[in-house]
Amino acid sequence: MNELLYAALPYISLTILIGGTILRYAQGERGWTTKSSEFLSKNDLKLAGPMFHVGLFMAFGGHVIGVLIPKFVTESVGIDEHLYHFIALAGGIPAGVLFVFGFILLMIRRFGNSRMSVNTSGMDKLLYLILALTIFTGCAGTLSGFGGHFDYRETISPWFRSILMLSPDVSYMENVPLVFRIHMIGWMMTAILFPFSRLVHCLSFPFEYFGRSHIIYRRK
Amino acid sequence: MNIKAQIAMVMNLDKCIGCHTCSITCKNVWTNREGAEYMYFNNVETKPGIGYPKNWENQEKWKGGWKLDDGELSLRTGSKLDRIMKLFYHPEQPELDDYYEPWTYDYETLINSRRKNHQPVARPRSLITQKRMEIKWGPNWEDDLASGESARNDYNLQKISDEITLEFQDIFMKYLPRNCNHCLNPACVAACPSGAIYKRDEDGVVLVNQDGCRGWRHCIPSCPYKKIYYNWKTNKAEKCTFCYPRLENGLPTVCTDTCVGRIRYLGVILYDLDAVKNCASTQDEKLIYSNVLNVIKDPTDPAVIESAKLNGISEAWLRSAEISPVYKIIKNWKLALPLHPEYRTLPMVWYIPPLSPIAKNVEEKVYLPDSKEMRIPIAYLAELFSAGNVSVIYQTLQRLLDMRTVMRRKEIGESMPQNLEFEIETYEKMYRLLGIAKYSERIKLPAGLQGVEHEKLRELQGSTGYACPGGFC
Ligand code: SF4
Ligand code: SF4
Repeated sequence: MNELLYAALPYISLTILIGGTILRYAQGERGWTTKSSEFLSKNDLKLAGPMFHVGLFMAFGGHVIGVLIPKFVTESVGIDEHLYHFIALAGGIPAGVLFVFGFILLMIRRFGNSRMSVNTSGMDKLLYLILALTIFTGCAGTLSGFGGHFDYRETISPWFRSILMLSPDVSYMENVPLVFRIHMIGWMMTAILFPFSRLVHCLSFPFEYFGRSHIIYRRK
Repeated sequence: MNIKAQIAMVMNLDKCIGCHTCSITCKNVWTNREGAEYMYFNNVETKPGIGYPKNWENQEKWKGGWKLDDGELSLRTGSKLDRIMKLFYHPEQPELDDYYEPWTYDYETLINSRRKNHQPVARPRSLITQKRMEIKWGPNWEDDLASGESARNDYNLQKISDEITLEFQDIFMKYLPRNCNHCLNPACVAACPSGAIYKRDEDGVVLVNQDGCRGWRHCIPSCPYKKIYYNWKTNKAEKCTFCYPRLENGLPTVCTDTCVGRIRYLGVILYDLDAVKNCASTQDEKLIYSNVLNVIKDPTDPAVIESAKLNGISEAWLRSAEISPVYKIIKNWKLALPLHPEYRTLPMVWYIPPLSPIAKNVEEKVYLPDSKEMRIPIAYLAELFSAGNVSVIYQTLQRLLDMRTVMRRKEIGESMPQNLEFEIETYEKMYRLLGIAKYSERIKLPAGLQGVEHEKLRELQGSTGYACPGGFC
């Protein structure tokens, strides 16, 4: 079972993520959009939209630090266990608050407003369910870190890096608490849905806008 | 000099009868789709009025167009960074209710109703939610000043309100048909973070690439004319295409073709791309109009022709530019003005201001009035067409009046007035083009960038470019 969930599923989901995204870009760029619903309902997006996205950026940054950077690296630059946890919570709690409350407000907006239903597809509903699962278990996991008896940087992070190194080591995942396990399933499900959902818009963050001239001329 | 060609339009407002044929034919061709029900690539407003969408001229609210920052041109919505910060919530984006909620009626109830004491009624149903709705506003709510009070909220009246009372005896109105202006300095293009909007090099048509659009929505507030719309179904931006598949085949836009008042003129102008930015940055906004006239170049000037040829403009296009009716009206005769030049986008749809009836208080005394005695206040026209520069309006209206005087005197055999600006023959040509010109004189387009047959175009009606290839929509 562990083999299937933590050695096979990651590769399946990452393959679908990458291959599916390429396919979607090549075949279905006409439908590649933010799927913004501000036009249908503006006022209730004012707080929720920026809250959710800023929280998301912070959470993403936190994951890069916590998951990709090995523990010995942070320790060698003088950040001990105690300090690390302090930094993680100082950044993680505001990120989590913005992220979770942003998400809740967005869901209230989406399902409490009759106009919004025309912008909500079946894929959207499935996506929000999986996202909710992932976000809430992620936050619960962070908060359970207060007790300090489970260190994901000695279990989940090395496991994830072993996936990236193409030599998955499932043994890291043996004693991981349930919330974190669900969190893992959550991100893998999200990765599978990613290419076929509105999430693709995150790849379109318009960095190139800063480098281009104001007016664009094109020949037929 | 860097000469480019542009298809430009002139509308003779004196002849617009406000029939909305242009809006309807345009809608039938381009926006009779789900997600686009509320869109009018071409709409006709009654002025004074707040228009469609509501109060579109209030740039304090929408931040449309360009402004000058210490002589530097910048978008009113702020810097590029400012706009990136607004990706997740755009405070200036109009929402559905700023236009109106589109509806249909339950016509079925008329047919299926059982026998009753009262007539069955077809009640309105929202085309968005498919639920019953109450109609509160429509695309054309102010037709012929129908909505009453909202005319007073016309943004143009705010600066000049003490002169214009809108009391019953002084009330005035005119129609203003509007489509995208295919501007020389388009704010929509500059605002698009994905670079999906572009101006076509060949003919100046401004288009949204439906594949490249990501739904960031910045073009919508940035266009000061509110001529970009958000499709709530495909979640992409759409705009007037100037019927480019027709232009490419030498046919005029649908609105021009079907215009009942025959008010629309379409033709080629040549302009100097290198002069555009300077012109848009003109310090005094009252002078933008006269500066644009210098950006538009004489198609018979050898230097212009040489540069045009270097840029690959074909003989056919150069010939069209030479006989262009819009060039004559805009530049030779100076009869047409750009709508709200102060937005600094340098619009390429031009308007011949209307010669309205004579004001009530001078009615008995004169037969042909002076331009100052018109019913539509000059100051109001100046707000619309010359950034408040009343002398431009006086001069333009005076030319139109001179034309009428010349033609009248000719008709009844009186001697011609002195101090005319143009030769008598010029006024005769003017009269012909503005008054009685046939289709082929009003519309002079070079045939064809490509050879799609007309039958094929009909097949594509209503779908061109907006269908969803590959799925995922
Ligand atoms: S009028 Fe047309 S070209 Fe000009 S800014 Fe608006 S959408 Fe762009
Ligand atoms: S079809 Fe012509 S006359 Fe009728 S409203 Fe449109 S522009 Fe005016």
